[in-house]
Amino acid sequence: MNMEAQPEQPPLDIDERRRAEEALAASERNLKLIIDTIPALAWSTGPDGSADFFNQHYLDYVGLSAEQVAGWGWTVALHPDDRDGLAAKWQRNMAAGEPGEAEARLRRYDGEYRWFLFRTNPLRDELGNIVKWYGTNTDIDDRKRAEAQRDRTIEELQGQQELLHLAQKSARAMAFDWYLQQEVNAWSPEQEALYGLPPGSFDGTYQGWKKLIYPPDWPLLLKAIKHAHETGEVAVEFRVQWPDGSVHWLATNGRMFFDGRGKPYRMVGFTSDVTPRKLAEEELRRSEALLAEARSELAHVSRVATLGALTASIAHEVNQPLSGIITNASTCLRMLAADPPNVEGARETARRTIRDGHRASDVIRRLRVLFGKKGAPAELVDLNEATREVIALSQSELRKGRVILRDELADDLPPVAGDRVQLQQVILNLLLNASEAMSGVDARPRQLVIKTERDEAERVRLSVRDAGVGFDPQYAERLFDAFYTTKDGGMGIGLSVSRSIIESHHGRLWAAPNDGPGATFSFSIPRSHGAAPDSPGDGLIPAPALTGEERVEGGS
Amino acid sequence: MVTRPLISVVDDDESVRESLPDLLRELGFAAQAFSSAEEFLASDLLGQTRCLVVDLSMPGMSGPELQQELTRRRLKIPVVFITAHGDDAVRPRLLEGGAVECLFKPFSEAALLDALNAALRVR
Repeated sequence: MNMEAQPEQPPLDIDERRRAEEALAASERNLKLIIDTIPALAWSTGPDGSADFFNQHYLDYVGLSAEQVAGWGWTVALHPDDRDGLAAKWQRNMAAGEPGEAEARLRRYDGEYRWFLFRTNPLRDELGNIVKWYGTNTDIDDRKRAEAQRDRTIEELQGQQELLHLAQKSARAMAFDWYLQQEVNAWSPEQEALYGLPPGSFDGTYQGWKKLIYPPDWPLLLKAIKHAHETGEVAVEFRVQWPDGSVHWLATNGRMFFDGRGKPYRMVGFTSDVTPRKLAEEELRRSEALLAEARSELAHVSRVATLGALTASIAHEVNQPLSGIITNASTCLRMLAADPPNVEGARETARRTIRDGHRASDVIRRLRVLFGKKGAPAELVDLNEATREVIALSQSELRKGRVILRDELADDLPPVAGDRVQLQQVILNLLLNASEAMSGVDARPRQLVIKTERDEAERVRLSVRDAGVGFDPQYAERLFDAFYTTKDGGMGIGLSVSRSIIESHHGRLWAAPNDGPGATFSFSIPRSHGAAPDSPGDGLIPAPALTGEERVEGGS
Repeated sequence: MVTRPLISVVDDDESVRESLPDLLRELGFAAQAFSSAEEFLASDLLGQTRCLVVDLSMPGMSGPELQQELTRRRLKIPVVFITAHGDDAVRPRLLEGGAVECLFKPFSEAALLDALNAALRVR
């Protein structure tokens, strides 16, 4: 088109005028075509803001006719929430007479609202009065959605950060994110506080961090770092020394990240102050050590006490026959020295001397049996015989305690398989306990009944019944705890040892209060069907879980 | 003929009851054995007993309890304790309590004789 050249043309003939008019019409059509086709909603209004034109694209978009949108009719397509805001802005804009823009949602023909950017420019006449406003609406919905998404993401992150913060506060653990090579302090003030540092004073370097560690724990950290290099996993408890000299326990759990060359560049994780827990643990360890010490001390005392009691008992058992030997030998000599010699009497006393000599050697043999063997293989044990031997050995102890012992040993008692010595230790322990339980009893006979019998289910039972102080039934099980005792001088160790011995014989040991005064302690172990001590099936009786030293204890 | 002084032996240990009276007889005493304090107290030989040889610890009534019982009955029988518990600590206490002697088993014939002579002198 060359319309600017027209005024300089000579007067036009009709054809020329028609051609010019046609060209003008074509130009206008072209312009309208452009206006209707541009990918924007175009419009214009009068100076008062009342709309007088909408391009076809606009009308198509909102699905309304030119009449419907004319004037202020177009506002029906605005989102109700945006209507007032846009109107206010439009008013301000017109008042200012400035180009302006605003955002609002427009309803598409199908009812969907989308965000648009409304932009407008004023057209002024020669005097500068605004005669028209021209404007376009551009679809910015995708951008708005992205923005909303971003806002939501930010909000979510903030929420998570808040959660993290709360978690840190409640766990008293501080998150850290440390870019190892950058040597910048990315530690939070809370993280610094764990090291006793004022906010912002950590220099972010490895060397700077190393200085904060309690020196004796540095090797431990080196090990943890080595582990982190190998696995990426950071898990270590260590001590730090605060600038004021105090030492605090920290626990760090986290992850190490490596660059392409396998060099660590970043570490994230949590650090928390575990000083109170560590102190409590240390306290616990100390008291456990003390307990262990007390335990071994008690075991020692108990062993000595038992050995003391046994020594006295042994001395008595040996002294009795020795006394007989010497008395008989003296008598014998006197009978032989008489005139005439009493040969028959001398023979009799000599026989008694020999008998008492055997009796003394029996005591020694029993002692050797009782203390000489260790980890013996299971053998067939006649509980009656074992009991008689124990009674013989503890006779003097019982006598000293003025205990009247009665035995009720079943005639047809089947043998049991086990360690005779261990079982005798249990019986001895029960006897001495029973004797001790009656030591304060004066109002009634200190009667002790030891009984063996067949028990149900092919078992053999041995029970020791005393007339002592008894025990509170609710503590029946506690009697077998290592340190439970109702006796002033008792150590309470014997019963727990006894129980472990009986259990190693597949039996059980229990206590029950009597109907009358006192208590009855019983154990029941399976009878043996083995014909010979070495018969198959009778394996080694495992030694109870005790140290060799503890195994010496017979009673307590 | 002078009557032999009666020595009563109280001990729950059978071999003592069996051997000691024989020796006592060889030494020139009359002797009678009892297996318990109660048995001795129930016998009719309390008045004739010139010396009591009694075991320290027995089931039922012990040696010192028997001694107390005799004192309570105003029977002044000298007491010689015998014991198989070689506990030196008990001896001074027993002597303080009026015992003539406390012999630790096994004791010699000489020690027994000394104790008995002392007991009979007391009388």
